Amino acid sequence: MRPAYGMSLTASLLVLPQAYAVALLLGSLVEGGGTLRLVLTCAAIFLLLGIARQAAEQMSGRLAFRAGQAVIHDLRTGLIDRQIRQNPLDRNRSASAQLATLAGPGLDQLLAWFFRYRLAALRVSVIPLIILVVLLPISWTTTIILLVSGPLIPLFMALIGFAARDASEKQLAETLSLNSEVLEWLNTAPDLRLLTATDRVAATFAGTATRLRAKTFSVLKIAFLSSSVLELFAAIGVAMVAVYVGFSLLGTFHIGAWGKVLSVTEGVFILLMAPEFFQPLRDLAGAWHDKANAATIADTLDRMEWASASAILGDGRKCAAMPGPVTIAATDLVLARAGQQRLNFPDFFITAGERIALVGPSGSGKTTLLSLIAGLQVPSSGCITVCGHDLSDETADAWRRRLAYVGQTPHLFQASLRANIGLADPVPDATRVAQAIIDARTSEVLAALPRADQTRLGERGAGVSGGEARRLTLARAFYARADILLADEPTANLDDATAIAIIDTLNELSRRGTTMIIATHDPRLIAHMHRSIMLGSAP
Amino acid sequence: MRPLLPLALHLWRRRIGSLALGILLSVLVLGAGIALLGLSGWFITAAGAAGLAGAGLIFDVFRPSAGVRFLALGRAATRYGERLATHDATLKVLADLRVDLLHAMLRRPVRQLMALRGSEQLQQVTADVDALDGLALRLLMPFGAAIAVLSLSGVMMWFMVGSATTTWILTSFLVGTLLSFLVTARRARRPSRLAHRAMWALRMRLIDLLRGQIDLVLSGRLEETRGKVLAAGARLQAAQALLDKIDRWAAFLIGTATTLAATGVLVLAGRAALEGEIAPQFVALGLFATLALTELAIPLARGLSELGKMTDAAGRLQPMLAADQPEEPQQGHARPQVAEAGAPALRFRSVTQQIGDRLLFGNLSFDVASGETVALIAASGAGKSTLLDLAAGLIPCRSGDILLHGIASDKWPETERFSQIGYLTQRTSLFAGSIADNLRIGCPDATTDDLLRVIETVGLGNVLCGRAGLSTRLAEAGRGLSGGESRRLALARLLLRKPGVLLLDEVTEGLDEPMAQHVLAGIRTTLPQAAILLAAHRPAEIEFADRIVQLV
Repeated sequence: MRPAYGMSLTASLLVLPQAYAVALLLGSLVEGGGTLRLVLTCAAIFLLLGIARQAAEQMSGRLAFRAGQAVIHDLRTGLIDRQIRQNPLDRNRSASAQLATLAGPGLDQLLAWFFRYRLAALRVSVIPLIILVVLLPISWTTTIILLVSGPLIPLFMALIGFAARDASEKQLAETLSLNSEVLEWLNTAPDLRLLTATDRVAATFAGTATRLRAKTFSVLKIAFLSSSVLELFAAIGVAMVAVYVGFSLLGTFHIGAWGKVLSVTEGVFILLMAPEFFQPLRDLAGAWHDKANAATIADTLDRMEWASASAILGDGRKCAAMPGPVTIAATDLVLARAGQQRLNFPDFFITAGERIALVGPSGSGKTTLLSLIAGLQVPSSGCITVCGHDLSDETADAWRRRLAYVGQTPHLFQASLRANIGLADPVPDATRVAQAIIDARTSEVLAALPRADQTRLGERGAGVSGGEARRLTLARAFYARADILLADEPTANLDDATAIAIIDTLNELSRRGTTMIIATHDPRLIAHMHRSIMLGSAP
Repeated sequence: MRPLLPLALHLWRRRIGSLALGILLSVLVLGAGIALLGLSGWFITAAGAAGLAGAGLIFDVFRPSAGVRFLALGRAATRYGERLATHDATLKVLADLRVDLLHAMLRRPVRQLMALRGSEQLQQVTADVDALDGLALRLLMPFGAAIAVLSLSGVMMWFMVGSATTTWILTSFLVGTLLSFLVTARRARRPSRLAHRAMWALRMRLIDLLRGQIDLVLSGRLEETRGKVLAAGARLQAAQALLDKIDRWAAFLIGTATTLAATGVLVLAGRAALEGEIAPQFVALGLFATLALTELAIPLARGLSELGKMTDAAGRLQPMLAADQPEEPQQGHARPQVAEAGAPALRFRSVTQQIGDRLLFGNLSFDVASGETVALIAASGAGKSTLLDLAAGLIPCRSGDILLHGIASDKWPETERFSQIGYLTQRTSLFAGSIADNLRIGCPDATTDDLLRVIETVGLGNVLCGRAGLSTRLAEAGRGLSGGESRRLALARLLLRKPGVLLLDEVTEGLDEPMAQHVLAGIRTTLPQAAILLAAHRPAEIEFADRIVQLV
C-alpha cells in the first residue's frame, strides 16, 4: 500500500503549485506587468501539473486496487483451505451457500475499502493540515476561518459516520428484505401457480414494496439532514474566505495578513485552496459505507475463525494406494466434542473380506465411527491402525485410495454422470464407467437419462431420486475398485424394490472380496453380514 | 449498452416525474456550485483591481458578497432537496424493478419454476437486480444533469468570457467525456461478463466442493478440485483488474479534459485580457467556473465504472422481463361453458409418454369418476409423477387425450383448470408467514372455521395446539414444521379450495400408519364428490383406493 499512499498524497499536493501558477497569472493580469510569455508559462505549468496529478491519482488508485486484490486473494485462499479441510460432520459448520457468498462477493466488498476509503482517510489526516500550514504565513485570518468551519474534524467525522452509516444501512436493509421476499415467492412459485394465487401475491408484494420504501425514506430524510451539515459548513467556510479576501483586497481592512497588504496573487491562491481544504472530508464521507461493509465482512471472518472445528487427516490428494492386506484395528477409541455426548467405541479387529454390520441405537456413533475409519475426523484418544500403519496425516491419503464411502445423503456433482461415477480419475475411462454401471445394476437409471452417461447431473442438470443417487454412488465404488466399502444406512428410507436392489449390489461387491463395514438398522441387510459390532454399549 | 437502454426506458417511463425532479435539483446544485466559485473568483479579482486603482470605496461590495453568501447557503439547502429527490426516485425504481421481475417470473411455465425452485440461479437473478440499483442515481441523473449544466454555463460564459474560450471549454469537456464513455461502453462489457461468470463459477464450484467434500476426500480429488475453485477466483481477479484499468483510464480522460478546459481559459481569456478585450476579473470567473466543472466529472467517472456491470446484468434481466408470456397458447377460448353431460371428471384416452427413446407408458386409457379414488402403482421412476403432471396439464400430452369433464385438459385456460384440479406435487413449499396466511393463499375468502376444520382433517390440530394456533409464524421457506407436517399443511391448503379433481403424489410421505389412514379418510370426508387420482407408494394408500391402475 505504501506506493499507493505516496502517490495519492503527491496527487493532492500537486494542487498547491498548480494553484499558485494560476494565482500568479491572474495577479499579473490585474496588477499589470503580465506578458503573453508569462501567461503561456503559467498555463503550461498548470496543464502539466494537472495531467501529472490525474495520472498520480489514478495510479495510486490502481496500486491500492492491486494491493487490495492481493490481500483478498490470500484471505480467499485461506478461507477456502480451512473450510474444505474441516471435519465434514461438524455440526457448527456454516451452510455451503453462505460460505460461497462470503468467499465470493463478500470478500470482494473489501476492495472498495482499499482503493477508496483508506486513501481518503489518509488524505484527510494530511492534506487539510498542510494547507493550513501553507496558508498561515500568508493570512492567519484565513487559517482561523478554516479552522473554525472545518476544525472539529472529529465532530465532522462522527457526523459523517453517523449519517452515512444510517443511510446506507437503511438502504441495504431495504434491498435485502425486498430481495429475500422476491426469493421467497419465487421459491413458492409453482405452488402459487397451482393455487391460482400469482396475481394476488404480485399485488401484495407491490404493497409491501411501497410500504418499505416509505419507511426507508423517512429515515433517509434525517440521515441526509445531518450529512447536509457538512456541506453547509464547507460552503460557509469557502464563502467567508472569499468575502474576507475580497474586503482585504479592496483595502477596507488590513487585518490578518501579518500587517502586510494582501496581493491579488495571494488572494486568488487562498480562494483556490479553500475548497481543497474541504475536499478530503467530502471524499471520506463518500467512502464511509465502504468501511462499514468491510467491518461487517471482517466480523464474519472472525466469527468463522472461532467456530472452526477439527480438520480431516491428510489433504485429499492423489497418491499411491497403501500396500498390504486389509486390516483395521481400533484400540480405546474415544471421541469427545464440546456440547455433544462423549462417544466410547469398542475395540475391534477387521480382516480382509469380512462383512461387518455396525449396529446400535441412533446417536451411538455409527456414522462417526465410519468417518473415523475414513480419516474424516480425528479421535480424541485411542488409535486406528490400518494395514499395519497408524492412521495419521501422512498415511490417510494412501489409505483412502483403497476405500469407497456411501453416505446417507450422497452428493452428485455438477458434472456428467460419467464424471460422477468415475470420480476417482480426473478423466474417467468410459468403458470402465459403463462396466461399473452394469456391475452396480444401475443400467435402468442410465436409460432414463436423456443423454446417457453424458447427462449433466446436479443443480442445473437432470435430477435423480435419492435411491438412484445412492445406487450411483455404489457404482462409484465398483469403478474405483475399492477393496473396502464403508456405507452408512444404504437401505434407509427406500421402497422395498430399491432396497433389495441395493442389497444385491452389495452382495456382488462382496463376491469380489470387498471388505465391508456397513452401519445399518435393516435386518435384511444385517442378515447378509458375517458379524456385527454393537455400538453404544461400551462404558 | 443495447440491453440497458430498453430496460431504463421500461423502468423510467412510469417515473419520469421523479427522474426529472432529481435532474432539475441536481442541475440547481451544480449550477450554484459553479456560480459560487465563478462569482468568488470574479469578486476577488475585481476587488483587487478596484483596490489597486484606489477605487475601493466606490466599489459595490454588497451585492457580490451577498450573492456569495446566498449561493453558499442556497446550495447547501438545494443539496438536501436533491439528495431526497434522487433517492426517492431510486427507491421507487428499486421497488418497481423487483415487482416487475416477480410478475414476469411468476408467469413462466410451471415445470420451469419447479426446476428453478431453491436453486442458486434464483440468487443470481437477485444479484443482477442489485447491480442495476445504481442505474438512475449514478448514471442517468448525473448524465442528464451534466448535459443541462454544461449548456447553461456555456450560454452564460459565452457572454461574459467570450465565444472562443467557451467553445474551447465545451469542446474539451465533451471530447473527454465522450472518449471515456466510448472506452467504457466498448471495452467494459466483456470483462464484466467474464467477471460475472467467474464469480458464478467460484460460487458454484465451492458449493459443489463443500457438499461433496467427503466423496472428494475419499477419491483423492480434493486438492485438484480446490485448484479449480481457486482458478475461478484467479479469473475473477484478472477480469476485475482489467475493469479497474478501464475505469482508471476513463477517469483519467475525464479529469484531463477538465484540466485542458481550464488551461484553455488561461491561455485564451488571458490573452484577451492582455489585449484589453475583457477585464481580468472575467478571466477569473471563467477559470473558477471551469474548475467547478470537476464536480460534474467525478460522479460521471464513477457512474461510467458501473456501466459494464449494469449492461451485462441488463442483458440477462431484459429478456426475463420482456418474455412475460403465459405458459401455453390460450387459443382464445374462454372457460368451456358446459361440461359434457355425464362425462367422467378425468378421462385418459390412449395416452402414451416417452422420455427420449424410453417408453414410460403406452396406450393408457382409464377414467376417474367423481367420488371415485384411483391408485397408480409402479416402481419408482416408472412415470407416476409424469402421469399426474400430464393430467394437470403441466406437460403437453403428445399422444392421446386427457379430458377434464369431457373437454381436453389443455383447452382450459390455466386459472379455470387449476380451479378444477387440486394437485399435490411431490415437492410442495410453504412461505414465511402465519399458518393462516399459508392456508389462505389459495383461498382468500376462507373463514377461521373453515381453516380450523381443514387443520383437523389433516391431523394438524394437535401440532398447533401447543403453539399459537392459526397465527403460529413460520420462518423463511415455511421452516418451523417438520417435513410431514409441512406436507399436511400443503394438503390442507389444497382441500380448502374444494377442487373437483384431486391429484395426489406421495400424499402420506413421512406419516406413520395410523396418521396416514386418518389423513386419507379425512380427504374423502371433506371432498365426497371429488375424483381422486393418487400415486400410491404404501399399503395404506392402496387400501384407500377403489380401483388400481398399474403402470408398465
